[in-house]
Amino acid sequence: MSEIIGHSSRQGPAIPEIIDELHADLDSLWAKASFVPEMDQMAFTTAVIEAATNVVQHATPASDAQLQLGVDITIWPRRLQATVSEIGAAASRPDLDGASSPDQDIEAESGRGLALIRALVSTVTFERHGDTNVWTLCKESPQAQR
Amino acid sequence: MNFTVDTAAESYAEVKGAGRLNMVSAAKLREVVSDVVAGGSNHVVINMAEMDFMDSSGLGALIGCLKIARQAGGDLRIANVQSQVKMVLELTNMNRVLTPYDNVEAAFADV
Repeated sequence: MSEIIGHSSRQGPAIPEIIDELHADLDSLWAKASFVPEMDQMAFTTAVIEAATNVVQHATPASDAQLQLGVDITIWPRRLQATVSEIGAAASRPDLDGASSPDQDIEAESGRGLALIRALVSTVTFERHGDTNVWTLCKESPQAQR
Repeated sequence: MNFTVDTAAESYAEVKGAGRLNMVSAAKLREVVSDVVAGGSNHVVINMAEMDFMDSSGLGALIGCLKIARQAGGDLRIANVQSQVKMVLELTNMNRVLTPYDNVEAAFADV
């Protein structure tokens, strides 16, 4: 296993304010990993924020307890990975395979998030672990080496 | 994000903001553009020089604002688009609908 170059972890209530904190986490990570090409930083950041925003906006709590968002980001040489967890969420199944830009209705105001995530990273998976839905986003970044 | 509106130009109103166009600021942008159009300016330029990040909620707001302007017989255009916003427009093919202009003056040069 290659050496981990950077890692950040955050968990908190799935409310809009946590998205700004996540932006700050990503900025700190890139400051330590400036060798990751800027385009890859930008694409990966956008995908992570998009997935986290999707949790804040659309995840449904399984009980009366407040839904938590957990985000773990790890930077390896040539690979960027994030797990975005909907903790305490009802089971759901986003249609990642069917996600595509809504070309049929070019003026639709929503429904582009999943397609955008897929276009930004190399792989996206969505799994159920206990009471948590977990997104795993992985972006290969061949030029990202010290 | 706070937005400012400049109606000094004769043929369009300029809406400017600084920061991230996301689920929080998206609603605000719709409100601002809606007020601008209701106030009689149906040609609107969004000056994105200081908007360094946009997600799909922000993109949805821009499309909503475009519809508001068009329904009033006008149009909405974007200028000074930064690299992350350009990437999102291209990956979603929305650059076909929201063409980025190099600067605010160029956006409605044809009107």
